[in-house]
Amino acid sequence: MWPFCLSALRSGFRSRAVLLILVLGTLLVGVAFLAASFSPRQPKTVTMDVGFSGIRFSLILFAVFWVQELVGREVERRTVLYALAYPVSRAAYLLGRFIGVLGLLAVAAAVLGSLLWLSVILSGGHYTQSYPVQTGWPFWLAIGGLWVDAAVVAAFTLWIASLSTVQMLPVALGVLFAVAGKSLGAVLEYLERGAAGDAELVGRFGPLLQIIQYVLPDLSRLDWRGWPMYGIPVSDASVSYGVLLATGYLTVLLALAVMTFRRREFF
Amino acid sequence: MRHRLPLLPLLLMLVGGLVFWLAQEGLRGVTRFRPKAEIEVALPVFVQVAMAGGDRYLAASWSVIRALVTETSRMAREEYEILGQVQKDASWLNPAHEDNYYIAAAILPWEGQLEPTQVILRRATRARFFDYQPPFYYAFNLVHFKGDVLAASEWLQQAAEKLPDPEERLILQNFAARWLDRSQDLDTAARIVEAMAAQAKRKDFADYLRKRAKRLRDLAVLRRAAAVYVQAQGKPAGSLNDLLRSGLLEKLPVDPFGFGYAIDAEGVPIFSSAAGQ
Repeated sequence: MWPFCLSALRSGFRSRAVLLILVLGTLLVGVAFLAASFSPRQPKTVTMDVGFSGIRFSLILFAVFWVQELVGREVERRTVLYALAYPVSRAAYLLGRFIGVLGLLAVAAAVLGSLLWLSVILSGGHYTQSYPVQTGWPFWLAIGGLWVDAAVVAAFTLWIASLSTVQMLPVALGVLFAVAGKSLGAVLEYLERGAAGDAELVGRFGPLLQIIQYVLPDLSRLDWRGWPMYGIPVSDASVSYGVLLATGYLTVLLALAVMTFRRREFF
Repeated sequence: MRHRLPLLPLLLMLVGGLVFWLAQEGLRGVTRFRPKAEIEVALPVFVQVAMAGGDRYLAASWSVIRALVTETSRMAREEYEILGQVQKDASWLNPAHEDNYYIAAAILPWEGQLEPTQVILRRATRARFFDYQPPFYYAFNLVHFKGDVLAASEWLQQAAEKLPDPEERLILQNFAARWLDRSQDLDTAARIVEAMAAQAKRKDFADYLRKRAKRLRDLAVLRRAAAVYVQAQGKPAGSLNDLLRSGLLEKLPVDPFGFGYAIDAEGVPIFSSAAGQ
């Protein structure tokens, strides 16, 4: 398993798509820095806010492209057969690749997070906000949440890659999953609060969404930026249940991926 | 070999040149399409969230930046309604957003959008449990726009409790008491708007707020003159020129927003935009 993980790490850093996303991520952090100039009173908070969104966006792209590159493309080019010719199980190959992607994502999160951290420190110039942001470990907890979020998306993409025979399908579905999972929280809250008085909407979609919650994970539960941005403490329950939700879902997806990949024929 | 004139390309070149020249002539008379700097649409919350990739914080940031770059000094009433809706949505997406409640309080209630402002401030009060300003503005709006001094006093107490410094807390509590007998006080209103301007990092926004404060102060001057006029003449002034003629004013103040001032049926000076409504 570990050789696959290491080779994933090596080729992950070599691929050209990654370089592009890294440039994009850096640009997004730059945009966050510039967004501060729109803020009359809280430039650092705005930089952090837009920056977290930019990092989330980049990490999701990293996750789907790495999985596509390290598993999807290998299957498509049949180079996966060289790997599977070794006396190892297919599960080991898949899990090794996944752990490699997790490592790559962690490096990306750390690099982009440090860039953002620096931007937050520098943004706003000499202006002192009346309510300062927290750049200590609440900040890194929020970055960690985004990493877990991206890990779930990577697992989903891996599952699709394990069964897909269409080239870009894992990427497209992975992105769709990321958007849907992240939107779920806002949609649920909207309906729970009575949908701004639209009883018909609540009646029609309310029960459906209650079920969907058990199929699609609410990825917005992994977004803890309220703490570093506003000092609104995140409860232990919301962090631990959020991570538990992600871990459980991820395990199910990996198991599914292993099962389909075992039975897959490459010719 | 004899060179033949390339007739067809030459002809095409001439025709092309002619068409280009005619089009250019025609375009000179056509006014350019200018995108309106004012705000025109408020999208449903779902669409906003989906467009931000499911990220509600990003959707909120986007709306607030939209509200900030909107040219607010020259908007129609419907456009203020839309601005109110956009900011209200932003506060649903991220109730703790500081700029959102701040610019909402600075602009919306003055343009007849009290309801969305109060919703935004209520949400901000709940989400920002450490910040005294949202309940403070909420209280001020209650006094100034609704004349509800009792409720305002309660909200001001709430704001006072959020202040860490006991000295400042006392000042605000005093304020709450004073407000009870002073509704419709334009000087207080101008002072609050000026205090908001002093907190602004962006110079253009601070200038905008200062203009608003100046407008309020000028109106206060006009109202004082009108009150003196009633005492001296025994009847309310029919127009602003009456005040000028009676020597109570040296000159009429100039409205920085260009709407001007007017006088209502009871002889009380008002903002001109309000007269038309």
